[in-house]
Amino acid sequence: MFSKEDIIKYADKLLIGLSDEEANTIYDEFSLIDKNIDQINNIPSLSEVEPQFMPYDLYVATLRDDEAEESVDVDLILSNVKDKEGREVRVPKVVE
Amino acid sequence: MTIEEINKEKIDTKKLVTEAVKLSKEANDKYNAFVTIIDKPKVGKKKGTLNGIPYSAKDLFSTKGILTTGSSNALKDYIPFYNATVIERLEKAGAVLVSKSACDEFGLGGTGTTCHTGVVRNPYDIKRQAGGSSAGSAVAVAAGIVPFALGTDTGDSVRKPAAFCGVVGFKPTYGVISRYGVLPFASSLDHVGVFTNSVRDAAMVVDAIKGPDGKDMTALPKMDDFTPSIDGDVTGFRLFYIKELCDINSYENPSKELRESIEKFNEVINKCKELGMYVIEESISKDLLNAIQPTYQVISCAEATSNLSMYTGIIYGPRGTGANINEMVKDYRTHAFSPLIKRRLVIGSYVLQKENQERYFLNACRVRRMIVDKFNELFNQYDGFLTMASGAGAPLLDEASEVLSEEAVLENHLAIGNFGGYPSITIPSGYVNNLPIGINITGKVLDDAKVLNIANKLEEKIGFKGGLK
Repeated sequence: MFSKEDIIKYADKLLIGLSDEEANTIYDEFSLIDKNIDQINNIPSLSEVEPQFMPYDLYVATLRDDEAEESVDVDLILSNVKDKEGREVRVPKVVE
Repeated sequence: MTIEEINKEKIDTKKLVTEAVKLSKEANDKYNAFVTIIDKPKVGKKKGTLNGIPYSAKDLFSTKGILTTGSSNALKDYIPFYNATVIERLEKAGAVLVSKSACDEFGLGGTGTTCHTGVVRNPYDIKRQAGGSSAGSAVAVAAGIVPFALGTDTGDSVRKPAAFCGVVGFKPTYGVISRYGVLPFASSLDHVGVFTNSVRDAAMVVDAIKGPDGKDMTALPKMDDFTPSIDGDVTGFRLFYIKELCDINSYENPSKELRESIEKFNEVINKCKELGMYVIEESISKDLLNAIQPTYQVISCAEATSNLSMYTGIIYGPRGTGANINEMVKDYRTHAFSPLIKRRLVIGSYVLQKENQERYFLNACRVRRMIVDKFNELFNQYDGFLTMASGAGAPLLDEASEVLSEEAVLENHLAIGNFGGYPSITIPSGYVNNLPIGINITGKVLDDAKVLNIANKLEEKIGFKGGLK
């Protein structure tokens, strides 16, 4: 169903590099998950069930009062940036 | 010592804070429980319900001006410019932050062995795990360093280490405590929780930090305090346990530890009955119980893939190198994320791919509904679900494996509390093989006060208040 090459491809999509050992471990682990998932997929009438994405449905959407809030100081936001210039983050040229 | 005892005996909290800092440093050599120990903790002028009480916060809580690493090399030098809402509220209540505790990297783990600062050790036996992911917080309370600590719980990350370290671990209903400023793992499952030496202390701390928060859309509206009702009469309450998990006859080859754990569990059932509660056996299909672990793994990995995509090394964290941004991010993630995190993220990415979504992610979410529907149905008939927090005491450190495996359903079933957002508490219930074990009580959504009430009465009956030591 999937190969070690697929795993490296999916890691690359996330901009993550894998060593051979890491790719092998994920491959082994996924074989196990796939087996376990079969236990899920064999549950009768599963397709008729609505997927649940949150623990419960208690949320009430409300709007806050239309009051201005203080913005966060830009210097604070940039306080962890390793390379900056004034109010901007310095990165390599994006458009080549 | 409990917060209740500190307040009653009017102990000098300034000395308590100084002592906590000293003890933290001494304990770190033995247990490796802390990422940061604050030499001169900020003692506020505000006098609240937790006035002068020192505490530790898992290193996932953003703390203004204080290193917050998520126990990951990806944030090894990150200093937030704001506090998480719970940190603000504890400051208002007078509590004093003395340390940031180590956890499994970004909360993704259950052993306390994947922190970037190294393995966290169990105070009962340093060759054993403290449990995870909130390992350092559990140790901080168990070793008597602080009377309470903050943790987070996505699958059982407060309630399992609490059992392994012999302390109380409580996560309230999803939304009772704001998660603003808490580094996320899996947003639909993440809860804030607390470690304490007594159920009353857990109620007091949660009362101080709960409540609505405009900065967290999942935070629930204001509700009554839990502490005033925890001494209520439990006579007539109805609890259930699941035969397939807690009946020795459900296991083909039970270990000696499991046998003893189940015997202890049966003793707890008798204590519940002595308190006037009914305890009734229920049965749930093995298919559904076996599906808990894969369901948790698929949903949590998928959500982690989304949440952890914010780590690029560009605006915080150590920068990677490369000729362009993509190369920089890849270099950063490849070197800063541990092998465990990488595995989880790749699995999450795989199950979310368009061609795989139906088979993996959506089917896991369907099973989540089936499990939650089943428990909601049971909670309509019962006041609470009584179960074992684990089938044995803390495992040895060299038994730690973060590779997903065919573990027993019993070791993973507390995730039910996260699927449904239920209030859930673990309290110490005795020893097996000279190691602490715990029992867990879970109730329906918003029944936090009742869960605490049952746990408090049971704690009195079991007689381990104030920790096992």
